[in-house]
Amino acid sequence: MKGYAGRILKVDLSTGKSSIKTIDEKYARKYLGGQGFAVEIVYHNVPEGADALSPENVLAMAPGLFAGYPVPTGGKTAFAGKSPATNTLAESIMGGSIGAELRHAGYDALEVHGKAEKPVYLFINDDEVEVNEADDLWGKDTRVTPETLKKRHGWDVKVACIGVAGEKLVRMACIDCDDRQSGRAGLGAVMGSKNLKAVVVRGTKDLEPADPGALLEIALRYQKIMEAAPSFIEDTKYGTGEFLGWINKEKGVFPTRNWQESVFKEREQIDPYYWATRYVTKNKACFACTKPCGKLFEVKDGKFAGVVIDGLEYETLYSLGSSCGNASIESVARANEVCDLVGIDTISAGVTIGFAMELIQRGILTEQEVGMKLTWDNAADAVPKMCEMMGNREGFGDVLSEGVKRASEKIGRGSARYAIHTKGMEPPAYDVRGMKGHGLSFMTSTRGACHLRAGFYAPELVGKFWRWEGIDRFSTEGKGEKVATMENFMCVYDSIGLCKFSRGFFLIDKLREVIKAITGLEFTEDELLRTGERIHTMKGNFNVLQGITRKDWLLPPRILEDPIPDGPSKGSKISVEEMNRMLDDYMTFRKWTADGVPTPEKLKELEIA
Amino acid sequence: MVKMLVPYPDKCTGCRFCEMACSLYHEGKVNHGSARLQVHRRDVRTDFPAVCTHCVSCGEECCVLHCPVEAIKNEDGIVRVEESECTACGTCVEVCPFGVMRMEDVAFKCDLCGGDPTCVKFCPMGAIKYEEPKPEQYELVRNLLKEEE
Repeated sequence: MKGYAGRILKVDLSTGKSSIKTIDEKYARKYLGGQGFAVEIVYHNVPEGADALSPENVLAMAPGLFAGYPVPTGGKTAFAGKSPATNTLAESIMGGSIGAELRHAGYDALEVHGKAEKPVYLFINDDEVEVNEADDLWGKDTRVTPETLKKRHGWDVKVACIGVAGEKLVRMACIDCDDRQSGRAGLGAVMGSKNLKAVVVRGTKDLEPADPGALLEIALRYQKIMEAAPSFIEDTKYGTGEFLGWINKEKGVFPTRNWQESVFKEREQIDPYYWATRYVTKNKACFACTKPCGKLFEVKDGKFAGVVIDGLEYETLYSLGSSCGNASIESVARANEVCDLVGIDTISAGVTIGFAMELIQRGILTEQEVGMKLTWDNAADAVPKMCEMMGNREGFGDVLSEGVKRASEKIGRGSARYAIHTKGMEPPAYDVRGMKGHGLSFMTSTRGACHLRAGFYAPELVGKFWRWEGIDRFSTEGKGEKVATMENFMCVYDSIGLCKFSRGFFLIDKLREVIKAITGLEFTEDELLRTGERIHTMKGNFNVLQGITRKDWLLPPRILEDPIPDGPSKGSKISVEEMNRMLDDYMTFRKWTADGVPTPEKLKELEIA
Repeated sequence: MVKMLVPYPDKCTGCRFCEMACSLYHEGKVNHGSARLQVHRRDVRTDFPAVCTHCVSCGEECCVLHCPVEAIKNEDGIVRVEESECTACGTCVEVCPFGVMRMEDVAFKCDLCGGDPTCVKFCPMGAIKYEEPKPEQYELVRNLLKEEE
């Protein structure tokens, strides 16, 4: 089978033994790679009702089908497991080079079972697989850890690791590689629960595409088209936050102060048009990305001097910025650095801090309880400090490290009214009260509130995408079908390992062309979308088996009850009636029951056993 | 003046597209080990391409000087391996200061793709240029490589 390594590596940390299974064309066609492989592994190996932080959980890592080949923006790697944050099957995709390296070592996926007795790291050196002691690495951050391991094994090895938060089972802990994160859903805590500090890979084997000449020609052609597009200049200059000003001012859907407002009036500093020219010293890219949105952001002097990060993504500018009322870009950068070093997701961290700040505003929490002045007017000082306390589970940071849902349950006193999440996942930077289909996708996303499972913000903000035109962001009409279709399409993306920032460019025809050059396999458009549907449905069915159904999908009170107070989307909210209408439409299109359960006929049709 | 590959570390994003394209062009498969150049990503700040400089700045570590059977020759400023004369002893791989001398059955290395370098074409950032050699740029890369030792 061309293109693939043809093997999956299984490591059981309880016994220290590893084994290999081979995969065939049938498997590859059914799941593609990346998310598809990772979801298949979790779906078929994690027992019903297993505790996400127990040895029964399985952590899967799989390079997308394109990872390792020169496909512009196509080097992504999927991690998956049962999420300790949401108890759903959750995957989180990263741009680090670990997946491609794994494929060079001869594996299309890694599955980690069991739990080591004490801290270990995994060293995969082509066919040699070692489980090594990691006592000296335990407690180390996500920069010291890879540096230590690279000094030990050579600068060419690739390292994915967790920070202190993962070790302390923080439910928003992430996995880091190359300063890129598999951020959402707490998969870093799954690694920590297995006593697995890091995965180190060196791969020296050839990757052989089915048609090298065609692949080289396609790679250059698409790279040049992308390079000539206006978005290349925007992404390269300003990163993913390029459209922040537009979303804030023109659309009025930039959540602010825990979603009490949707326009951040103090936006000036957090807009990349302000900071890119002042703080960015270099462009950074994910593996295989020719359209670098990563920015090396350095603070040279002042209170936050010494901060250096690959980042300040759009999402983080919201979560640690507007959502906390934090207008200081240097503070946002420092908070981002802290999150990266301790290893927590910036979205969940920022939204949870913003939640606590609103509780203090309302007198539900006191500054004494929290142990600091966690107020809107003190955000620049308080936010980075609280990130550190959350990553280390110190003081009140321990409560907040659990995320808004669990924290509100611990705090009580009606605080759940201000906890914004679906399925226990804190939402990304789009006020869905002014983009209702995206609101539906927060509910239907199998890992909880997410902007990338359907990526539906783009069609709604722009008004057209792919097959659709005239999309009205304030309407619920036809959104069920569109969101479900986009979810299927995005499952394909996460399985082949393409960045979603390419989704306006790499539509299905181009994907078919690249897949054929790499693997020799031909897919029809319907077949590819059906593969996406299969992967999404497996995740959905896994969740049903954990007892998670429609009742657990619903939007939080703020989105259902509080209209957007001001700005271009003023007055808009998603009513309970609208929510239910969209959900009904969605279930009907998917041929799932009204409760969100894939029917036996649907499972059979998709060959899900 | 013969044109050479010139690396610009400040422009390199660490995406490694050039590496993949290089090995795919020359070998029909992808492998960092058979790419004729290498992208290093050491830490959050440091990404850079190490390229063959064709005798411009190798000094005492020159593969041409050290080859015991004189199978590596500098002809008109371009360093080439005479495959039929190579004994695969590995000396050139050891001495190459940029780590871009390769060895499988015999030694092989960057040949500038016959005057239209693939890496230059594929890099969207201008981190590798095909132009008059710039010794100061090679020195930058050598210093970065020394930090890895």
